[in-house]
Amino acid sequence: MIKLSKKVALVGSFGVGKTSLFRRFIDNEFSTDYKSTLGVQIQKKVITMDNGIELSMILWDTEGHENISEGRSSYLIGSHAFVYVFDITRIDTYKEINTQIEFLKNHFPNAVIKIVGNKLDAVSKKKAIETLKEYSVQYDYLTSAKTGDYVEELFADIAVDVTN
Amino acid sequence: MEQPNRLELLKEILLAEEKDITQSLVDKVEKLSYTLNQPIALAEKVDPLVDDKINTLVQDMPQKLSPVITQALKTEIQNSQDAVVEALFPIIGKMIKKYVSHEIKLLNDKVNDQLQNMFTFENIMKRLFGRKPKGTDIINTADAPSLIQVMVIEKETGLLIANHAPDANEGIDEDLVAGMLTAIKSFVEDAFKGGDQELETLAYELYTLHIQNFYKYYIVAVVSGVYTITTKDKLENLLLEFADKGVSKKELKDNKLFTNKLKSFFSDQTI
Repeated sequence: MIKLSKKVALVGSFGVGKTSLFRRFIDNEFSTDYKSTLGVQIQKKVITMDNGIELSMILWDTEGHENISEGRSSYLIGSHAFVYVFDITRIDTYKEINTQIEFLKNHFPNAVIKIVGNKLDAVSKKKAIETLKEYSVQYDYLTSAKTGDYVEELFADIAVDVTN
Repeated sequence: MEQPNRLELLKEILLAEEKDITQSLVDKVEKLSYTLNQPIALAEKVDPLVDDKINTLVQDMPQKLSPVITQALKTEIQNSQDAVVEALFPIIGKMIKKYVSHEIKLLNDKVNDQLQNMFTFENIMKRLFGRKPKGTDIINTADAPSLIQVMVIEKETGLLIANHAPDANEGIDEDLVAGMLTAIKSFVEDAFKGGDQELETLAYELYTLHIQNFYKYYIVAVVSGVYTITTKDKLENLLLEFADKGVSKKELKDNKLFTNKLKSFFSDQTI
């Protein structure tokens, strides 16, 4: 069996649910008790893929920043994938999204980038899609860390992309 | 005289000079043909010329080839900077270390000389009764340092490349430790903005994490017991030797291969 390790960093504004997505994926848990992440927290999840690869996904849950360039760049360096998380219910977390994604693409041209709108449980999916369309926001997944909707799918997709 | 004979005689008289020239040319061509077809004869003629050319080439070579070779080397080094730095890192480290050690030894010798020459009561007593071990010496002997774990970690990603823990501690996930150490290291190095300076040790209670930085990776040696300057020095030498003994690109990408190498190198190492 081939064993691989890949670094995946979660980035985005404060309170968008990065840590909640992280905990949902790692421990399948959710808490409404909000504690802002200081610095970074790191966890690992081992995924056995259909193609026989055993992937150790090392997740770096970074502290929230409206502007990625304001964060500690050393936490992001070497990432094989980024999950850019925004809050569907808060326009301020995605109105500048194109600039943020451009920053990631310019500084980490080889990394996989997934754009994720979180808190799907707080708004109807139809309404969320309409609003995002209105603001011309491109995204890969709409998730809910609270219910677990599309969280597994998101990380499974990342696993495939980083091992290809 | 008959008509044809007279014509022949006339030809001989008129063409005598041309006939000599023709014969001379034939002789020369035959001689040239012989020279060209006989290696020894050809060598006699050509060798001096070739020797002259070679001598001229050897004399002119530095001037003519130097710019080309220099440019080619410059381009090659520029194109593979990572590989060059990776190869030079342990060597330069050793050189600097050797130089600093040498200078410290000289300083130490000077201090010792001065102390020897000091005619103090304490010195006389020491000479008479010998030096008794101090408390720190006794403690150092009792709590000798031992190598608990060695981890090789990729600098940028914080991913664990290789790990060797003779007395494996169940419950510790080395991947997470590698990630967190990299995060702590990055934080300290960023926060204090020390230029190219890097974190070298972390201490907690009875353990010290000795960090040896290389270009693409760093090695963490977890030491229990007293971590003195001597311990640090020995560890540095050991880790530089390990890196110098061929940490290749292939090994950096093959965790299993690297881990085996790490295990075999540190299996009987003591500090």
